[in-house]
Order: sequence, then structure tokens, then C-alpha cells
Amino acid sequence: MDANDRRRRAGSEAADWFSRLQAGTMERAEREQFVEWLRESHIHVAEMLRIAQINGALAHFAGWARIATGPKTDADDVIQLPPLGNSTSPSPESPLQGPPPRASRVGHGLRLFAFAATVALIVATALVLPQLRGQLIQTERGERRDVVLADGSQLQVDPETLLRVKYTDSARRVLLERGRALFHVAKSPDRPFTVQVGDTEVRAIGTVFGVEQRGHGVVITVAEGKVAVRPPESSSPESPPNASTRGQAESRSSQLLLTANQQVTVASTVGRESIREVDSQRALAWAQGRLIFQNDDVQQALEEFNRYNRVKLSVVDSELAAKPVSGVFNAADPEAFIAFLQSVTPLIVERDGDRSITISTRRSPDGDRY
Amino acid sequence: MMSAFAKRRLTDWFHQWRLPLRRFLLSRAGVPAADVDDLAQEVFLRLMRYEKAELVDHPQAYLYKVATNVATEWSIRARNRYVHDEKWLGQLIDLELPESELERTESAEEIERALNTLTPYQRQVLKLFFEKDKSYAEIAAELNESVRSVTRQFRKSYDKLRQELSPKG
Repeated sequence: MDANDRRRRAGSEAADWFSRLQAGTMERAEREQFVEWLRESHIHVAEMLRIAQINGALAHFAGWARIATGPKTDADDVIQLPPLGNSTSPSPESPLQGPPPRASRVGHGLRLFAFAATVALIVATALVLPQLRGQLIQTERGERRDVVLADGSQLQVDPETLLRVKYTDSARRVLLERGRALFHVAKSPDRPFTVQVGDTEVRAIGTVFGVEQRGHGVVITVAEGKVAVRPPESSSPESPPNASTRGQAESRSSQLLLTANQQVTVASTVGRESIREVDSQRALAWAQGRLIFQNDDVQQALEEFNRYNRVKLSVVDSELAAKPVSGVFNAADPEAFIAFLQSVTPLIVERDGDRSITISTRRSPDGDRY
Repeated sequence: MMSAFAKRRLTDWFHQWRLPLRRFLLSRAGVPAADVDDLAQEVFLRLMRYEKAELVDHPQAYLYKVATNVATEWSIRARNRYVHDEKWLGQLIDLELPESELERTESAEEIERALNTLTPYQRQVLKLFFEKDKSYAEIAAELNESVRSVTRQFRKSYDKLRQELSPKG
């Protein structure tokens, strides 16, 4: 994803926030998310200012009487996904479409044509593709995205994630092919909402939950409501001995029932799942762009940061790589993490522009660590 | 639903913020996007100095206030220290001057052109808001839609207008 794509996505997100703020329906939790988004990047600030400026221009526009209107059409119902990082359908700012509007009349005409073509493509895609393969939602390294689906359900999609959304009149299905996402499911009793990861199926009952595909299996964490998890047939789910005494966790036949603040890992190899009590806010902190480490080693922490950022962090010596680290960090701010490490252990930090940061243990001249 | 008072307050914030930034952001002379980013960078850094809890109640108000402060400071600095500096800094000094007839016509034409890239229905929704001064909830009632659906039309419209209207880098 290049700078244009990033800018374009930030513009879409700003348009979304601005509309919601203006609707006056935002709860405190949403305003908190907005503030977090605003403080993630100066590009977010710039795009928010631009949308506000456009709003002001519209408020002072004197020619509304000349503006033609019309009824709603199918095109107005298309859910517009934020641009995909590797999308081949050009956005109007894409270099594929020639110069910006004021560069030339020819460029302008081409751009309008390209835009019309894009709209036609989006409409066709929205109408036809869901029946075939589902809507594709894909994020790249360093890219997080909020998506609102047609039924009002919201997805917070983490970096390096691939999802397919298949909606029919009777069912809402999401296939998580890789990565992780937090699902805020809109209530619709007649249309069950399921997330499928490999052979594991997670069924929601009007709720908020996270699904992560990790090396050792599928991790499902519930923040609100209830979720039913059906592991693959081959694995034999087992609850921990004390699960039934907790009152909330149930294991019925091949289905696990999870309630708020519970988590289960459906292992990919060993057929054993156990429901754990967790602090869901901490366990799902990744959805808010926060990374929480608890005695994780530096190597693992750097790898987590690398998923969220373009700048690549690496550690040279194994001693530092294995050092345990704990704390809460902003996933978009690897520099703050490096600064934190520097405050607890002497480091040599080498930067290659904004491409990479390499850290190693600073040693005294006689070979000992300071 | 947003009260009339809240809406007016939002508009007031915007007015306070708009004047110092108007030429800066939408100048026909073409303020490079990089300069807008410089301003946003400074606003961003200042926002980081606030406690999050402090920002959450009125995030937009804070954003505009900080942006206004930065733009004002920069214009004063430009007047005092960078008289011969870049052209857009000079434009900031002329805040009190009314915009010229030509400039007003040009910007209205530009807005009209951009509006006409929206769908007729999106234009309908915007018209009800900006011309008829209706709230999202009132628009939703009039069009027999949900507020969420109306909000979505605004999002798509702002997104498109952002692509059409903003200065490029």
C-alpha cells in the first residue's frame, strides 16, 4: 500500500467519522475510538480538517437551488468498502487514472470516465460477487480497517487479514481465511451470523467477539453476549475440570458455549479446547490498536509491532531477543516501544531511514554490559 | 439526535476555525498538500499533549481549536519573521480581506461541479441538510430511511467530495 492509498483510506475514514459526529448519535465509547483514531496519525488529522473544510464550503454554498436531486437507486445501496491496499479497481486519486482534475481538461474527462467505470464495476461486484465468492476484505501489513456490513454489523479488521463476507436472506457468513478481526454483530434472530475459520465455526447471538487465526490454532474471545463454537468434527473438545462449576461455560456435544470474558483456543493439531476466563478488554486490545505484553520476549514483541507498521524492527543479539517485556503499547508507535526498552536496558539503536530499526545490547568496552 | 443547540455550536466552532484556515486549505493558488500536512502534524503533536479523557467529550471542538491556534500562530510568525517566505504563508496574513467576487464565483463553480459527481439521491440528502437545515433524524424521517442509512449517504458524499475538491500535493 503506497502513500496515495493510505491517504485515500484516511480520507474515507475521516468522512465516516465526520458523518457520525454530525449525526449526533455517537456514544462515549465511539468518541473514544475517534480520539484514538485522530491520535494515530497526523494524516488522520489532516483528512479530518479537510472534510470539515468541505462541510463549511457546502454550508456557505449559495447555489443549492440549482442542484438536481433524484430518488434512491440500487447504486445508493452499495456498501462502499474502504479501498483495498492492493485493489486493482482504481480510486479517483490513483495514479492509474492520470493527472489530478485541474491538470487538464482531458485528464478531467478521463477521470470522470474512469470514475463511472469504477462505479459500474463496484455495482456489478456488489450485486454479483457476493453470490459467488463473497465480499472480499483484505488488509496488509500495517493496515487496520473498520468495515460496516450491510446489516449494520461492524468489523474491526487487523493487519494481514483476509475475510470473505457472504450474506443471504437467511444467513450471514464470514470466512476468516487469515489474520484476526473483532465482530460487533447486529441483532437479527432470523439470520444467524457465523464466522468460519477452517473447520471451526463460531456462531454469534447479537454480540461482540474476536476471532484470531494463529499458528497454534483459532482463538475466540467474547466481549459481550454469547457465542457458540463448533470445533472441527475430528477434534474432541474438552472443558477444564472446573469449567462446569463456573456456571457460565458449557460444553454440549460438540459445541462450546462462551459468554462474556471467556476465551477458547481451538488447536489446529491437538484436539483439546479449554474455556478460559479472561479480561476481554485486555485480550481484545489488539482491536483498539494496543499491544499488551506480559512477560513476552522482546523478539515476539518486535514481531507484533512489525505486523502493524511499515518500519521493520529487528534485534541482533539473542540475549536481548529473549529478554522478557511487559506493558501496554500503541501498536502504531514502535518508537515509543524502543524508547521504553532504552529506559530499562542499555541499547544501541540503528536506523535505516524510516525503513528499519535494529536494536542490540550496548556493552561496555571490556565486553560486559553496562 | 443532535439538538439544534449542539448543531449551532458545531457550526460556531467551524466558523471560528474556518477563517484562518480557509485560504490555507482551499486556496485556488494551490496550497501543496505537504504544507497542509505540516499544519496537521503540528495539530497532531499538540493533540497528543492532552489527556485522552479531556478530548473525548468534545473531540471536534478540540481539533478545530487547536488547528485555529496553530494557523493563527503561523500567520503571526509569517508576518513577523518570514515576510518573504512562501506564498501561502503570505496568504494567511490577508485574513481580514473579503474574498473577491471572482474567487467566490470560482469556488461556487467548483463546489457545484463536485456536487454533480454525486448520485442524485446523495445530492437530495445533502440538500435537505444544508439548504433546508434538517437534522439527520429529520432527513431519515422524510425519506423513510434509518438514521444509519442517512449517515452512510453523508459518508459516501463527503468521501467523494474530498476526492473532488481538495488541493493536491
